[in-house]
Amino acid sequence: MTVTAVRGTDTVAISSTGLTKAFTTGRRRHRRLVEAVRGIDFLVQRGERVAYIGPNGAGKSTSIKMLTGILHPTAGAASVLGRVPWQERRQLTREIGTLFGQRSQLWFELTPRETFRMLGSIYKIPAAALRARVGELAELLDAEELFDLPVRALSLGQRMRCELAACLLHEPVVLFLDEPTIGLDLLAKQRFRELLVRLNEERGTTIFLTSHDVADIEQVAQRAIVINHGSVIYDDRVAVMRRELLATKIVEAAVATPVCFNDMKGVEATEHTSSTLRLVVDTTIRPVREVLDVLLTTAEVSDITVTDPPLEQVIAEIYERPRT
Amino acid sequence: MSAWAPAAARSASRRAARDPIAVAVAVGFYAIVATVISTLWRTAATAHGGQVAGYTGVQLTWYLYFAEAAVTALQQRQIEMTGDDIVSGAIAVEMLRPVSVVGLRLATEFGRCLPRLAACTAIGLTLAWITSGPPVEVAALLLALPSLLLAVACNLAAQHAFAGAAFWVRDARSAWFLYQKLVFLLGAMLIPAEALPGWLHSAALALPFLAMAYVPARLAAGHLEPQLLLLQMGWLVVLGAAAVAVFAAGERRLQVVGG
Repeated sequence: MTVTAVRGTDTVAISSTGLTKAFTTGRRRHRRLVEAVRGIDFLVQRGERVAYIGPNGAGKSTSIKMLTGILHPTAGAASVLGRVPWQERRQLTREIGTLFGQRSQLWFELTPRETFRMLGSIYKIPAAALRARVGELAELLDAEELFDLPVRALSLGQRMRCELAACLLHEPVVLFLDEPTIGLDLLAKQRFRELLVRLNEERGTTIFLTSHDVADIEQVAQRAIVINHGSVIYDDRVAVMRRELLATKIVEAAVATPVCFNDMKGVEATEHTSSTLRLVVDTTIRPVREVLDVLLTTAEVSDITVTDPPLEQVIAEIYERPRT
Repeated sequence: MSAWAPAAARSASRRAARDPIAVAVAVGFYAIVATVISTLWRTAATAHGGQVAGYTGVQLTWYLYFAEAAVTALQQRQIEMTGDDIVSGAIAVEMLRPVSVVGLRLATEFGRCLPRLAACTAIGLTLAWITSGPPVEVAALLLALPSLLLAVACNLAAQHAFAGAAFWVRDARSAWFLYQKLVFLLGAMLIPAEALPGWLHSAALALPFLAMAYVPARLAAGHLEPQLLLLQMGWLVVLGAAAVAVFAAGERRLQVVGG
């Protein structure tokens, strides 16, 4: 297997051709190669918002680590902003921002503002420009008061906003986010997603986001690339994906009195006891709002949630689709 | 290295100074150990006609306080911690900055040592003076101060070169135990190098460990030998280059699976 370089064009932010990564596991006679990523191909244009999604162990993080130059691929080619990430990592880090949801880049004993000063000297940002930049980010992220608290005293949601500020400090052209919403509560997730969209729309920052949360795709991305067992199994506009694969919503309700709910077209009750009700709604046939209206007017509902189908179900549907 | 190295050192130094309890514990430990060992060596010198391996009781006292200070100033288990960061993949985040990973780590750790080194040196000077009298040669003692900084820098560079083994063997814990014993023995931290048996003395002269404890200690003991600083600088270049080379090779084969 060979690793080659491919140069991008001015409009291409990220390109990957046959990118492959195999890890060695076990010792001596038990040693074997495990392919985490198996020849992925895609192009991302500048200014795009792409969700790179898949279940745990699909190869998302390994891909992002190759694209940011942390890992050297076993085979294939890639370029980010015209640079080969694993050969020109240090130069590339000046042009990209990377945020790992599960690994902090802030120094825990410092306040975020002190970390920014440190990063400012690393990225050679003049002091006046750094002050102005931190001020801008404080406004964008609504985080002025957080910047002077020790990082260890911040909640996860607050810390993620500061992490985002840290990786935006040097004004990256491409932003890689590896499961940035993991562990956040609903409100924090929503706020974070809005921030990413705003960043893309106002500054043209290319967003490349990995996640296994279906809502991240719907609310942030324009395009979704689905990866499973190290291979790309779906690559299309989110609008198309929504129509083809995300046409169901799951409504779960706790009811005080038994309710009869089996005669609505596009609604299937998958669980129905005297106190709980679980409905799968086909939104191409019936909007969720209609189902909620009926439910709230006909039953005494003490709790209700609307969720997306789990990613595993979306992937199963991709495999079940007829090949074109 | 440009402005980021002193900035990293300053920042780490400020962080370490914000934890006075950790500094006080290290200094307390240092004061007890150095006082006990120097007392033993003074007794041994008295029993051997006033000298051991060419050092008088007073010289041995100054020697041991400085040798101990050079080593105690460092964060313990540095190799193990760096190795754990490599094995766990925590180091991946550091690879996303436009500077050398090992360079930034060395600058940070050097800064982190400074408050402890300053406190140990101040206490060591005071205790050595109280227990055995004024320094034998003030000019040599003054040279011992920059030599302490070089000793710490050499030690850190060597520890990072050792810790880099974790890129290949996925564990640096055993390396820490081996390394620590080498510094104690071949660095002449507990016994002056001149008191080592012939073959061990030859081995010590050929290896970098003397630069980490012996050199500042010998200067503090009153030997005005400025060429020892050149020896330290030479080893610092060699060890720094070794750490950079090990990390450069290791980063290419880093294995980080999952988020």
